[in-house]
Amino acid sequence: MPDGSFAHPQQRQFNPYSDNGGTILAIAGADFTVIAGDTRQSEGYSIQTRYAPKVFRLTDRAVLAVNGFAADGNMFVKKVKQRLEWYRHAHAKDMPLRAIARLIQTMLYAQRFFPYYVYNILGGIEEDGTGAVYSFDPVGSYEREACRAAGAAQSLVQPFLDNQIYFKNQKAAPGTTHPAHLPLSDVLSIVIDSFTSATERHIEVGDGLEIYVVVAQGRSPQGLDAFRGAQELSTQPNGDRMFIIRRELKKD
Amino acid sequence: MFLTRSEYDRGVNTFSPEGRLFQVEYAIEAIKLGSTTVGVRTPEGVVLGVEKRVQSPLLESSSIEKIMEIDHHLGCAMSGLTADARTMIDHARVTAQNHSFTYDERIKVESVTQAVCDLALRFGESVHDEDAMMSRPFGVALLIAGIDELGPQLFHTDPSGTFVRYDAKAIGSGSEAAQSELQDKWHKQMTLQEAQILVLKVLKQVMEEKLDHHNVQLAQVTPTVGFEILDEVRLKEIIDLM
Amino acid sequence: MNSFLTRYSSTTPEADIRKAKELYGEDEDFSEVMWGSTGGFGNLASGVPMFKLPSVQDPSSFLRMHTDDHADPSCRIKIKHGTTTLAFRFQGGVIVAVDSRATAGSYVASGTVKKVIEINPYLLGTMAGGAADCQYWETYLGIQCRLHELRNRERISVAAASKYLSNLVYSYKGMGLSMGTMICGWDKTGPAIFYVDSDGTRLKGDLFSVGSGSTFAYGVLDQGYRWDLTDEEAQELGRRSIYAAGHRDAFSGNTVNLYHVKQDGWKFIGNYDVSELHYNGPGDVPGATGGGYGYDIRVAGRTSTNAPEGEAGEGQA
Repeated sequence: MPDGSFAHPQQRQFNPYSDNGGTILAIAGADFTVIAGDTRQSEGYSIQTRYAPKVFRLTDRAVLAVNGFAADGNMFVKKVKQRLEWYRHAHAKDMPLRAIARLIQTMLYAQRFFPYYVYNILGGIEEDGTGAVYSFDPVGSYEREACRAAGAAQSLVQPFLDNQIYFKNQKAAPGTTHPAHLPLSDVLSIVIDSFTSATERHIEVGDGLEIYVVVAQGRSPQGLDAFRGAQELSTQPNGDRMFIIRRELKKD
Repeated sequence: MFLTRSEYDRGVNTFSPEGRLFQVEYAIEAIKLGSTTVGVRTPEGVVLGVEKRVQSPLLESSSIEKIMEIDHHLGCAMSGLTADARTMIDHARVTAQNHSFTYDERIKVESVTQAVCDLALRFGESVHDEDAMMSRPFGVALLIAGIDELGPQLFHTDPSGTFVRYDAKAIGSGSEAAQSELQDKWHKQMTLQEAQILVLKVLKQVMEEKLDHHNVQLAQVTPTVGFEILDEVRLKEIIDLM
Repeated sequence: MNSFLTRYSSTTPEADIRKAKELYGEDEDFSEVMWGSTGGFGNLASGVPMFKLPSVQDPSSFLRMHTDDHADPSCRIKIKHGTTTLAFRFQGGVIVAVDSRATAGSYVASGTVKKVIEINPYLLGTMAGGAADCQYWETYLGIQCRLHELRNRERISVAAASKYLSNLVYSYKGMGLSMGTMICGWDKTGPAIFYVDSDGTRLKGDLFSVGSGSTFAYGVLDQGYRWDLTDEEAQELGRRSIYAAGHRDAFSGNTVNLYHVKQDGWKFIGNYDVSELHYNGPGDVPGATGGGYGYDIRVAGRTSTNAPEGEAGEGQA
């Protein structure tokens, strides 16, 4: 209307969320864990950037991957890191992986009535030296698993992992059984294949791939030498070892 | 002490010109009136022992509670105004449970000790809208025993909020004699049983009454069982071994 | 600058920050406890959990708009939902059986969810509704039960524990919590089950099933239930009931988790794959009658397309 008022009732909503696409995934081995994510960030059909990391190193043995709404994700990672530092000052040690998992639950649940739109996957090495993956829903329900994919291409990647990691719908050759854990080189191949395939079939996945590998103390990162450009991130010579592998994904 | 008595005696949060907080010092004195309490650390676990002053034959000695559980892996013995300790131990219990809720792990012995000591100086006037819990310092000292990833540990806390780790420590009225006895007898490779006997021997030395299973109490924290107060049967067995 | 002035002025940068914090619900007063010796219990710092609320007129309708995938399947935040759970009391204690499927919309988000929450060695809680609500509050219930035990030198009764939970969730009524749980245990009064939900309902009873598959589970459960079941029969009944729900309810399935609560606490009996139960049964376990639960075995290959001679003719005549 000329006076600035509206002829019809107007409805308004508070919508603080958006979906920035991308996919993350993590696989635990017997004594290592691989955590990976693509680096594309998009909104709707537009690509905002081709390099926005979704996987973050938390401690010498813990890595967190976040997916969903990038602003919430980045803020959440920032707050987790802050809590880890407070813990370090209060208790004179790095927070163990299962403690980080529980902490993340309480932090997500604190926002139960105004949730972070974030799907988290935490990966790393437990106190007993085994590889572990914890997956979370946006308000903090969590469980420890052997592998998990989340994000835009979750429904493309997870069935592939079910088949390759859990050997779902596969029959072992006569006289053999499926291995309980795969070696690192196999896991890395599965991770890379997952992302190249997801890039082919999902418009929100692509550009770059960052793969974090955490290997338990005293175990050799066997199979990693075959991968070109693995960069070591370990801070202590005799602790758990952490590596990052970067790969390009298609950019169309 | 009485010579320096002055106007600085009364303010709980006023330093004297010599830089002393008299009320806190007096609170530490109050512990020296308390019953003797002993703690001994060994590689196999920590032993706590207290003297129960049974002032009357009509008193039910089992109702005297001077050793309390903080959590499965943590125990605590007290000396001084034991009523004050209840506040502190409840705080320790809540802290231990909050820790296990937030981090899905057992709290470290030092962390729970620190949490108890954070309470110690929360007396006097309140700062803006934060409530001070007490109008005076706590009049109790604690021996906190526990086991975590660093092994068996024993901590001593006093009303000033200071805490120190000990291999063996005595507090309360007989503490001076008891402490020197501990210094003579404690050694690095003690077994749990040797520690139990040492605690009883030290208590026996400083107690006026004849030591029996009614007027002492023993507790221990071990890696297998965690915290436990020894029942009369087991206590008697150890007394017989002395 | 005069601190008193800063505190009450509305034009300084400090005031802007203060306003932002008020809007965001960040409470300055407990911030120091966040990093103190207690290491920061976060929203638990003040003793009871505190929650951030969106600064809108009606926080619960905001939450519903963004998280309720029943009303609006395109909503952004898909909270995981749990599905078939049951518990019953009988002569030998309490049987607790649940499925393990979590769905987000029509996607099977997980097939390995632990829907039995081990509150402590003698109390179990089941999960139906919001997975996080059940997990979080039943863990919280666990520490409160432990504190009760330390303060009163006595284990909490199942009645008291369930009432604590029920009062707790009732205080959040209308805010969007979603949980339907059974608190199961053994106390001085013997085996006990209490059904507690986020509406505030709390019921004592012998037999409950909760979740979208509960009707299917009740069908099998009611039919086979007796007070004097043996331990083995009771375990088999629990397994079979969840199998039935997994078979008929699309939101339930994957595996069955079975627990048995006795006087000395709960015991995990086993995990059984639903399709394995269908074709081959639970295997060599106590109480199993042998063979798969599916009716294909009982009809022995006879179907409408493969009816034995005579029967089909009779039907047509």
